[in-house]
Amino acid sequence: MNEKELIQGLQKGDESAFKYLVETYQHMVYNTALGIVQNATDAEDVAQEVFIQVYRSIHSFKGESKLSTWLYRIATTRSLDLLRSKKSKKRFGFMQRLFGDGTEPVFEIPDFNHPGVALENKEKAALLFKAISQLPDNQKKAFTLHKLEDLSYHEISEVLQTTTPAVESLMHRAKQNLRKILEKQVK
Amino acid sequence: MNTEKNKVTDDILESLNGIKRASAPDFFYTRLKARMEKGMGAGNSSPYLLRPAYAFITIVVVLLLNAAILFKNNSSNDIESTEKETLQSIAAEYNLNDNISIYDLTQDN
Repeated sequence: MNEKELIQGLQKGDESAFKYLVETYQHMVYNTALGIVQNATDAEDVAQEVFIQVYRSIHSFKGESKLSTWLYRIATTRSLDLLRSKKSKKRFGFMQRLFGDGTEPVFEIPDFNHPGVALENKEKAALLFKAISQLPDNQKKAFTLHKLEDLSYHEISEVLQTTTPAVESLMHRAKQNLRKILEKQVK
Repeated sequence: MNTEKNKVTDDILESLNGIKRASAPDFFYTRLKARMEKGMGAGNSSPYLLRPAYAFITIVVVLLLNAAILFKNNSSNDIESTEKETLQSIAAEYNLNDNISIYDLTQDN
């Protein structure tokens, strides 16, 4: 099934087209989400939400970009939304602990080990992922798409709906920021 | 020392080189379909206004409005009583408090 037929099938509500979409893109969407949210359960949740959103809003997809570009865009947006919502729950949890009886659970982000990292790099990769989690949103998106999905700067610019030079600048700043964060960790 | 530190940082920055794509969990499509059939849509959570943080903010805003209105009322009461005092003192100065008739003023003592 080519992309045009797939989109037509999805717009008709064809279940086999939707199944084909999920089977073709599930790993791509999951891996993107995993790189940003750094938790397997949350990544699966986000990935499901991405496909649900595609199912509901396929009629608004104009076909100006590739389907994969659109999926990356939804995946990165949803992943960041989840992180924001977890952060605000954590803030409220702090207030609860101030006024509560001390039995409320404390949510801490554990070290993240990406399953695709070679064994000899696992420890260093865990440090890097921790540093990535501290990047501003756009730098996080650009860096994750480049490193985990091997997207070119041009492809990333299509996902982020910006220019290639803007992505180059984002990547440069991301690397600078990562260096600063890592230098503090590696004292 | 700095060179060593830079090398360590460089190694960490390159630790994701050659990373393999993570696979979605088994039976991903089955679980997705089950979720869609249950009607648990994308981002299905409690309505915004029912979330504790927003409820707290609403209560604070209502309390602040009440305080503002009470303060405003007290201020206007203060202004009224100040004005009343001023008028009374003027009246006292010109002996306007007493019920004096024109005939009293023209009476010879």
